[in-house]
Amino acid sequence: MTLKRCWTVLLLLTLIELSACAEVQPWERGRLAKPHMALDADPLLSSIDAHTYNSKEAASGGNGPAGGGCGCN
Amino acid sequence: MLNSATRLFWTLLLWACLHLQALAVQPGGPAPGFELPRLDNGETIRLSDFKGKVVYVDFWASWCGPCRQSLPLYEDLQKRLPVGQFQIIAINLDEDRKDAEAFLKRHPVSYLILSDPEGISASAWSVPAMPTSFLVDSSGKIANIYIGFEPSHIGTIEHDIKALLDSTAASHPD
Repeated sequence: MTLKRCWTVLLLLTLIELSACAEVQPWERGRLAKPHMALDADPLLSSIDAHTYNSKEAASGGNGPAGGGCGCN
Repeated sequence: MLNSATRLFWTLLLWACLHLQALAVQPGGPAPGFELPRLDNGETIRLSDFKGKVVYVDFWASWCGPCRQSLPLYEDLQKRLPVGQFQIIAINLDEDRKDAEAFLKRHPVSYLILSDPEGISASAWSVPAMPTSFLVDSSGKIANIYIGFEPSHIGTIEHDIKALLDSTAASHPD
């Protein structure tokens, strides 16, 4: 088998594998929107912790990405 | 290795895949339509049943925060506008219809609630986020799309609906 043919087979296999990457649609995120699926189990406690941390460090932000990916506003 | 015809086929296939998004539902284009059961009594409702009316199609779910805010406000909106010319249809996309029923028990609405747990209509209408609403004119074309919801949006939505109702009345004077 030539090298080019190997690359073609590899490319085709990669494309076939990609079909397994299913996108979760906005209306399929009901389970992700449940409270126990939240990345932050206790937002109030985290907020208080962050306030203490920011006061001690004299800097704020950069704590993580915004949103949990529910597709809401 | 690959002859030119095969290469052309793969290129066209890739191009078609990349441009599927271009076929998405957009203002000015025809509304895809639906045929879904009512949540309360199972009666089948089609978008085509409302031809000649301005229809506001809202895709919602009980787990979606902005949707929960929007439904009671749409109830007020439906009451302010003439039922003979305007209809709100809210398509529920909860996987378990009991979740929707529990929400509607707390916040009852008089407009049509349809059930689509499989999300077939949401897929056909290319719903990009929850909630998304489509304002459909009396000829079945999409006049406007509203992605997401905040209570402050209701004024704009009402203004758009009234403008559409006025233009419908002007083009079809009785």
